[in-house]
Parts: sequence; C-alpha cells; structure tokens
Amino acid sequence: MAKKRVEAGRGRKPGVVKSAKKPGANRAFYMIIGAIAVLGIAALTYVSTRPKTGTTINPYDSTLPKVASQGYVMGSPAAPIEVVEFGDFECPQCGRFATLTEPDIRTRLVDSGRIRFRFIDFPLDMHRNTWNASRAAACADEQGKFWQMHDAIFANQDRWNTEATDNPDKVLKEIGKTVVPNADQFNQCVDTKKTQAKIQAHWELATARHLPGTPTFLIGDQQLPQFLGYDDFKKLVDDAIAKGGPKDAAPLGDTSKAASLKKGE
Amino acid sequence: MTKRMWMALISLAGLFLGIYLTLYHYGYVGSLVCGVSSCETVQSSRWSMFLGVPVATWGAGFYVVMLALSLAGMQDRFAYSRGLALGMVALAAWGVIFTAWLNYLEAFVIHAWCEWCLGSAAMVLVLFLLAVFDWRELRAAESVDGL
Repeated sequence: MAKKRVEAGRGRKPGVVKSAKKPGANRAFYMIIGAIAVLGIAALTYVSTRPKTGTTINPYDSTLPKVASQGYVMGSPAAPIEVVEFGDFECPQCGRFATLTEPDIRTRLVDSGRIRFRFIDFPLDMHRNTWNASRAAACADEQGKFWQMHDAIFANQDRWNTEATDNPDKVLKEIGKTVVPNADQFNQCVDTKKTQAKIQAHWELATARHLPGTPTFLIGDQQLPQFLGYDDFKKLVDDAIAKGGPKDAAPLGDTSKAASLKKGE
Repeated sequence: MTKRMWMALISLAGLFLGIYLTLYHYGYVGSLVCGVSSCETVQSSRWSMFLGVPVATWGAGFYVVMLALSLAGMQDRFAYSRGLALGMVALAAWGVIFTAWLNYLEAFVIHAWCEWCLGSAAMVLVLFLLAVFDWRELRAAESVDGL
C-alpha cells in the first residue's frame, strides 16, 4: 500500500512504474542514449583524426638561417610611445580588431603622431593557414605594401582560412594581385616560401614572451591579450603617454622584460 | 521519459562536449567550429584552467558523475533514495555556481563568449531544474506516504 502511495506521490499513475520496467517502455530512452553515444564518439573521432581541417600545423623549419626582424612599423619615429600588436591573420578577434578598431587608430592616433604602431606575426598552431597568410603579407612587404596586404588579408579572412580552403596560397595570390605592383614577383615569393625565416623570427619574439593568445597588445607597461575597441585602446594610450613612456613597450628581444610585463598584467 | 532519463541524456551529451573541449585545450583537435566566435580567446585565456586542470575537464568530470547518478536513480534500488536525489541537486547546484562564475569571467574579464561554453551552461541549468523537480517529486511522494 505504502509503495503505491509513493508511486502515486511521484506523479505516476498506478501501473506506470511497473510498465516502465517492461523492455519496451524504456526502449525510447535506450535508443536515444545509444544514438547520443554513437554520434558523440563518431564526432570526437572525426574531429580528432580529420587530416586537414583540424590538424595543428606549425611549419617551423629549424634548418633555415635565422634572420633579424621585428615586425612591421607604421607611424612617426618621433611618436611618444610605440604600441605593439602580436597578431594572427587567421584569428577572428585579430580580424575584428583590424577591421573595426584599426582604421580609427590609424587616422586618429598614428597619423596624428600620438603613437607608432608595430605588428608582429604570432601564427598560432591552431590555425592551419595562418603561416601562409603571414608569408604572403611579408612578400607584399618586399614591395612596400605590407599594410595594404595586411588589411586585405583580414578583410578576406573567410576566403582563405582553414574552413574556406585547403589551398590558401591560391586565394592569397588572388588577393595579392590587387595589392602589389608586381604580381609575378609576389607569386614567386609565395610559392618559394621566401619569407618563412622572417615569420619564424616574429613567432620567436611572441613565444619568448609566453603570450596567451592573439591579439596581444603592448601599450606602455601593459600587456593586454584581448580584443580592444577604439575607446579602450585610446584610454590605454593616453594613460601610457601620461605616464611618460616607456617609449617602447619593451625591448622586443629582451625576454626578462617580457616576464616582468607578464607578472604585472 | 522520466526526469532522470532526461538528466542521463543531457549528461551524456555534456560529457562529449567536455571531452571535445578538453581535447581542444590540449591541441588534439583543431580550431573550434565557432565562426566568428571567441572560443579561442576563452580557451587560451588563463581562466581556462582551474586548480591546474582545464575547466573543460572539470566539466567532463561533472557530467560523468551526473550521468552515473542519473543512471543509478533509474534503478529500483535508488528510485526513492533521498540521498541520491539530494546528491543530484547538490551536484547540479555546484555546477550552476561554477558555470555562473565562468560566464561572469567571459562577460566582464575576458570580454569574449564561447558558444560551446554557453551550451554547456544551458545544459547545467536544465540539469539543475530537473534535479530540483525530481527532489520535489520525491518529497511529495514521501508526504503522501506519511499520511
């Protein structure tokens, strides 16, 4: 009797619990849980074994002779401070920064001489096509068109990124054709990976700082691993200038300074 | 289906999500299928670790325990167990609090949202509600039994 009350109290009509013990009653549950299990295992197997769209690739070539390069600079050498961005061309947040925030920074802060802006590649392992983009931007730099290529690469991120293509160089060459004066020279540079060592030098600057991700900005004594809107960016710049520097965020090759920046973030 | 069956199903789905994000954290799988999302920002932030273990792994552990409790609760032996029902409520409540803290970090500290994390947050909230309703049902049954 008590058992019946309990069953009734649980909102079940008499007999429902009993019938639930029949194999057929729980069939739906076991079918659904089986389906979730199969789908889940299949999905995990797929994402962990797919050869191209998910594999992390870092084409670092330790046999290449090292080159000295500290990114790309825009603005006046006389600017009171230098702001550094460590960016990844395939990173959505870097793309957001480049397309939404950076135009204002250039016209209001760089052109007016308040800051000098430096971009340093930090191609992340999680992005398969990002090294191609970095190399292509460096190829455009050989013809004095880095920033134009930088903008075009970010503006067309969805055309050449991992989700879009297995052949990013083909798309990057199409983009480059609209930017550089000598397309043949650019294409050859891309095909031969001529600028690989330069990108590796930039990547080393980033990894020496143990950066958590991209974009990461160095503004004054601040290290900010996050997307920044213009208002936030400008406030940080104003604060850094008000503090009187340092003129450079940190000597880029000086990892001890980078460590202290990290502690103070 | 009973509430505990739903809880088991949700827990299993959550478990796979936790495993996926753990594999992502350690680099065994590539970029998240997130479009313009900020999953990478969240996953690469220093808050993606808790007590030296990735947050995603804590989540997977949470779902494993919840799945085990839900499946146990479907057995006759534990069908009317106060301890098990309360345990599920307590575990789900802890999950809600932990998830709320993570969502707070996403909103106000990291300034980035990860859809996968939000999906998990929704599942934890549903699990909590189901656990509470299950507990209330059991208490109602006991009060009827006590008449």
